Amino acid sequence: MNAMSGQALLEVQGVSKSFGGLKALTDVNLSVAEGTTHAIIGPNGAGKSTLLNCLIGLLHVDKGTVSFDRRPLTGIKPYEIIQRGIARVFQTPQIFPGMSLMENVAIASLANRDGQFKVNPQVTLDARHPAMQEAEYTLRKVGLQDFRHTDAEHLSRGDKRRLELAICLAAKPRLLLLDEPTAGMSRHDTNRTIDLLKEIAQSGMTKVVIEHDMHVVFSLAERITVLAQGTVIAEGKPDEVRGNPKVREAYLGGSQE
Amino acid sequence: MTVNSVFLELLTGLQLGAIYALIALGLTLIFGTLNVVNFAHGALYMIAAYVAVVLANQVGFIAAIFLVPIVLFGVGIALERGLIRFFYDRPHTDQILVTFGVALLVQECLKWIFGANNIPFPLPEWGNGVAFLHEYLPFLDGFVVFPKWRLILIAVSLITVLGLYSLLQFTRFGLVVRAGMRDPQMLRFMGINITQRFAIVFGLGALIAGVAGVFGGPITQVSPDVGMALLVPSFLVVVIGGMGSLTGALLAAIMLGMALSFTATIASLQQIIIYLVAVVVLLVRPRGLLGKKGVAE
Amino acid sequence: MFERENRARDLTVLGSFAAIVLTLPWWLTAIGGYEALATKIVIWAIFALGFDILLGFTSYLSFGHAAFFGFSAYVTGLMLKHVTAEIIPAMVVSFAGTLVIALIIGFLTLRRSGIYFAILTLAFAEMLHAAALSSMLQEWTGGDNGLTMDTNPVLFGIEMEGLNVFFFCALILIGGFFVARQIKRSSFGLMLRSIKENPMRLEYTGVNVQAYKMSAFLISAMYAGLAGSLMVIYEPYVATKFLHWSTSGEVVIMSVIGGVNTLIGPIIGATFLLYFENVVQAFIGEQWKLVLGAVFVLVVIFLPGGFVDGYRRIRKAFGAKVEPRRQNVPDKPQRASDAYDRKNTATQYVD
Repeated sequence: MNAMSGQALLEVQGVSKSFGGLKALTDVNLSVAEGTTHAIIGPNGAGKSTLLNCLIGLLHVDKGTVSFDRRPLTGIKPYEIIQRGIARVFQTPQIFPGMSLMENVAIASLANRDGQFKVNPQVTLDARHPAMQEAEYTLRKVGLQDFRHTDAEHLSRGDKRRLELAICLAAKPRLLLLDEPTAGMSRHDTNRTIDLLKEIAQSGMTKVVIEHDMHVVFSLAERITVLAQGTVIAEGKPDEVRGNPKVREAYLGGSQE
Repeated sequence: MTVNSVFLELLTGLQLGAIYALIALGLTLIFGTLNVVNFAHGALYMIAAYVAVVLANQVGFIAAIFLVPIVLFGVGIALERGLIRFFYDRPHTDQILVTFGVALLVQECLKWIFGANNIPFPLPEWGNGVAFLHEYLPFLDGFVVFPKWRLILIAVSLITVLGLYSLLQFTRFGLVVRAGMRDPQMLRFMGINITQRFAIVFGLGALIAGVAGVFGGPITQVSPDVGMALLVPSFLVVVIGGMGSLTGALLAAIMLGMALSFTATIASLQQIIIYLVAVVVLLVRPRGLLGKKGVAE
Repeated sequence: MFERENRARDLTVLGSFAAIVLTLPWWLTAIGGYEALATKIVIWAIFALGFDILLGFTSYLSFGHAAFFGFSAYVTGLMLKHVTAEIIPAMVVSFAGTLVIALIIGFLTLRRSGIYFAILTLAFAEMLHAAALSSMLQEWTGGDNGLTMDTNPVLFGIEMEGLNVFFFCALILIGGFFVARQIKRSSFGLMLRSIKENPMRLEYTGVNVQAYKMSAFLISAMYAGLAGSLMVIYEPYVATKFLHWSTSGEVVIMSVIGGVNTLIGPIIGATFLLYFENVVQAFIGEQWKLVLGAVFVLVVIFLPGGFVDGYRRIRKAFGAKVEPRRQNVPDKPQRASDAYDRKNTATQYVD
């Protein structure tokens, strides 16, 4: 484990968010230690995605604070939040459909350097450009190198997810937010993704994962936060959460299955 | 300023706003339900005005008043079925381009048939001349007249707006259309036959442009340039009101009409006032007066 | 090694482009045109080329680029008339002025996309048009009659007329084409082109989308301003039509007919439209605009990629092995991996 381990990288304090009369989040606290993998689970409509959206500025919180690396994330633009070192995999894969995979990933590699704004038309973006080499490397890592010159729109849904993951990795974030990274994948692909995420974990990248698949959750997470109806009902190590009666109730009582 | 001049300017403002409102209502109705921006809406107005001139000469003005909206309803449905429907799944830019192309085609066709210049649109006898307003309104001081036709235009617009509102509020068809303006996706999932209704909505928008053409034609001139000249302010009305909001469009139309009317004495200001109003409104409220979040973003 | 290949290829492309443009007055005359038309084509080509950087790259459809073309034309005209007949100061001043106007309009319109953007740009251009005709500015702009000048513009004392103007404009077009091509292939161009693909992903990858959008808008406005300025140098007269929506419409038609996001497409579109307007018109008479409108609508419906795409489709139909869509990455697939294997310097995520 990383030497920094234990230090809170992401700190969410008393965050509330409501849409009209609907309270999506009520007084949510979350603390994610640097270098760990933290899972957020909960029944449908528990506010998991809303919480992620609040973290990256897609939604404004009504109350509470979100801080990253001990600096608040409120009041700055979404791209600035990302530039602090956060990346997000969305629930529906967000990619650049009409561009090749290489270009898709190169954009993220470039974002660190040119994201703020940079005009450099004299430098041609060819294979020897560092961004392209990084893109190539990242695609190989997620296992998409064979399609690197295909347009992203032609990929299968599972592959689009992996491409999005590659885009996020190429930005070299300190904190990676994953919203159901394995949804829509076959068992085989799911296992590959788990292996990949484990591999990334060894590099010390901090991750927050929203996931329905308990197989994924228990093979990845070091800590788990359980949300139900917008509030945190349990928090702790996987084994603690597994045995928590409130969690069982929320899942069994809250879903129709 | 005297009571008389303020009153007259209010009337003029209403009359100017009335034409914008009629065109903008159709635009915003089509946009709200079908999510299509119709750059050819000014062209529909123009077709209406030209058809009205021809029909008024052939079968009389009264007949034209009833026939033109029906003709335009047909034109609207034909346009939707023949062309626009193929563009529902294409990007907005493509929709703008194709309707812009149609607008050009209509403009050039009319130019070809009727010539590039303004053609006369004589008013019927019953609508000609002026109304002596001071005879009916005691608070006016002395002698106050206003062209009869412009009063008729205001009245007709009011009736059209009320008609449209009752259609949308009190009928089953209206319920579906309003639901469609809220969430077109949902209707599709509910299995409501929207294709047929889409065509009717487009026809309805064209019909309102037809009403505008018959009654507005004698005031705005009947020339191949008038379509685009009216389309720009009407677009502004739609944007200021908030895309897809009928009430917003109505408010914005009256606002722009008034702005034009009350700046009439300062010619250089009047020429750009509607744009200034648009800039101010959009700086303060980027979504327009009654615009909803998430529409056309 | 392949750097040299690429460079050779670049030189061929630019060289043939320059050759075709510079010989335009002669081959155009051979197919029924005339010398002055060549200049006009080149000027409009600059306008359309810049427009492609906005529409083709970012897919922001502006219906108000006449604002920049016309504004620049008026400023150039006023400079030539009242200050000096030398064109360089006039061009510099109008260029700066256009930039300011573009910043203001961009600030007000780029906050919205799609439909709003199209409508708002149209409205602002119409506002400038109305302002130019207004009684307040009439004295300066000449109102409905346009701005007329009696002196001929000069460059360092040389009269700008005939082939002189042509070569001046042609060189600017060639330079503009080179710059646009470089932009397209740079990382800057990649950012611009990804705005079209998915602005949300771009923002949440940590990119200042607003700044990139604004830069595309400003660059295209600069091309438009340059074209407007040259138009007055070519013919010392500013028509009110330069600010009219139909000018914006024309540049839209050129770009779409030729094929957006190809750079060469809009240039072909400009050539086609002006050739049609000035030469073909003689055969089909007053209805040429009707025919043009029909061509435009047909292209929008059936050939969204314009003439350039049509050319590709025809070649494909005849069995030619068509090159895949030109990418930002100009190399062949295996190259990239070679480069990686050769020097394994890519930044690693795993230590």
